[in-house]
Amino acid sequence: MGITGLAKLIADIAPWAIKETEIKNYFGRKIAIDASMSLYQFLIAVRAEGAQLTDANGETTSHLMGIFYRTIRLLENGIKPVYVFDGKPPDMKSGELVKRAERREEAQKALEKATEAGDQVEMDKMNRRLVKVTKEHNNEAKELLKLMGVPYIDAASEAEAQCSAMVKGGKVFGVATEDMDALTFGANVLLRHMTFSEARKMPVQEIHYEKVLKGLELEPNEFIDLCILMGCDYCDTIRGIGPKRAYELIQKYKSIEEIVKNIDKKKYEVPENWNYERARELFKEPEITDIETIELKWTQPDEDGLVKYLCGDKQFNEERVRAGAQKIQKSLKTATQGRLDSFFKVIPSSTPPSLKRKVDDKKSSGSAKKVKGSGRKPK
Amino acid sequence: MFEARLVSSGTLKKVLDSIKDLLNEATFDCSDSGIQLQAMDNSHVSLVSLNLRSDGFDKYRCDRNLSMGMNLANMSKILKCANNNDTVTIKAQDNADTVTFMFESQNQEKISDYEMKLMNLDQEHLGIPETDYACIVRMPSQEFARICRDLAQFGDSVNIQCTKEGVRFSATGDSGSANIKLSQTSSVDKEEEAVSIEMQEPVSLTFACQYLNSFTKATPLSTQVSLSMSADVPLVVEYTIPDLGHIRYYLAPKIEDDDN
Repeated sequence: MGITGLAKLIADIAPWAIKETEIKNYFGRKIAIDASMSLYQFLIAVRAEGAQLTDANGETTSHLMGIFYRTIRLLENGIKPVYVFDGKPPDMKSGELVKRAERREEAQKALEKATEAGDQVEMDKMNRRLVKVTKEHNNEAKELLKLMGVPYIDAASEAEAQCSAMVKGGKVFGVATEDMDALTFGANVLLRHMTFSEARKMPVQEIHYEKVLKGLELEPNEFIDLCILMGCDYCDTIRGIGPKRAYELIQKYKSIEEIVKNIDKKKYEVPENWNYERARELFKEPEITDIETIELKWTQPDEDGLVKYLCGDKQFNEERVRAGAQKIQKSLKTATQGRLDSFFKVIPSSTPPSLKRKVDDKKSSGSAKKVKGSGRKPK
Repeated sequence: MFEARLVSSGTLKKVLDSIKDLLNEATFDCSDSGIQLQAMDNSHVSLVSLNLRSDGFDKYRCDRNLSMGMNLANMSKILKCANNNDTVTIKAQDNADTVTFMFESQNQEKISDYEMKLMNLDQEHLGIPETDYACIVRMPSQEFARICRDLAQFGDSVNIQCTKEGVRFSATGDSGSANIKLSQTSSVDKEEEAVSIEMQEPVSLTFACQYLNSFTKATPLSTQVSLSMSADVPLVVEYTIPDLGHIRYYLAPKIEDDDN
């Protein structure tokens, strides 16, 4: 589910670390996509009249619809996507997963209540809260990607960690996800809103790790500690310390150990058996599939295969599927425009951007708000 | 204190027209030796490199190096207010956050001042290595503009093939194809109409029309243009600005197959 309030903190303190651009500027780039998060997004967002799209047997097809059309959109923009699926969740996450299960139960109860009361709006809301990405969803998505000729990878554990390692290893340009913890894992470039619907006209946010560290004036280790304090998926936080307070504390004491030593224990209760050290390790050295063994290849789509898979029981429109397959084919054929920055090296800028920039101030507060609730990931 | 004066504001207008198609905003780096600008377009496909030498100005003074980030649309608005034969003076204080453009009419009877806010842009600077190009084609700038305009009707990209005999521009699209071949001119009456080719080895490269057409906005600056090409490196399109400097455009080629 990412790091609580990190996007807003960055937007407030280091707005220049976030660059808003159009999706078409990413042509020729290879981009790792956090598949589970996208699937979840699609299950929530791709709906007709509030209900998920289903096939003849009542099985959901929203996720396939999403994967198919949004991937084509990326390919048409000259982007080379690679999907990364979650492996088994790390043990540390069990606490978080239990919490999520509880929340689902609550939502389930609320749904029953709303159904009884006939409250359509509430029912709709709770229905969305109950959405869960299942193994079948994942397998179906993989099957579809294979037919589309788009590569995917099974992460050893967390998809964000795997994506981040791929960015660091130079396999891909950036990670497309809404979860900010890709930054905590050290991904150089994080892209948000990449898989959003075109209709929303949402610009892509490009967040640079280096710039975030520079802007927050933190060392990598301090940044990880900050994220843990703000609230990650792997351990508890100190009650009563929000993003702002966490940031001040890290700036002052530099590490969680020092903070724990120095804060007023009566006011702030440090959780029992607080396992922040393990969480820290998890961020620093997550379990990943060796990136050297990964081979990324974009191949011709299997048009007939796609038609067979999507148009049979799943009731997709055959014409549209065929048109989609042709779009994929075309995107592979056209010569790709080279990027100038792959020929000439960027000279590291000698002057860090000063604080006097007025242009960005306005934007930042607005964009941080927009992001809320757009794509969280329960598992 | 920074101050630079040009006798005719027309030149500055032309310079601005030649870059504002590609860039929304840019940083002008001013130093003792002159004014420089280097910036990539948004999509990072092309790069503009502008150099105006200090000795080309009527008057030039730059006490401390200064980087002025300007919004080019706003700058263009200001320059529209000047007559072509007005004298223009660009002024800024050290560490200023504004720049002033002053226009003086020829008879000194009208003086107008325009002040513009500067922006702090953090743009990536690229190191451009010295390259010996396999082919350098010099041709009339208007001819080049015409070719780019004509070929853009047929396809998104132009293939440029250069051999000893001449240079061939071609485009293919759904409706058909177009080919334009220029030979080296043998005898030259007027220097500005000459086509010359310096070739080490033949090249064939493909470029997006859209960018080439943006480059040709610099045509009014110079009668001649030079295209420098080597296999698998960006094209350089250069226009000299008489007595003042040059503007160079770099354009990344289209790559046929990129499986790796």
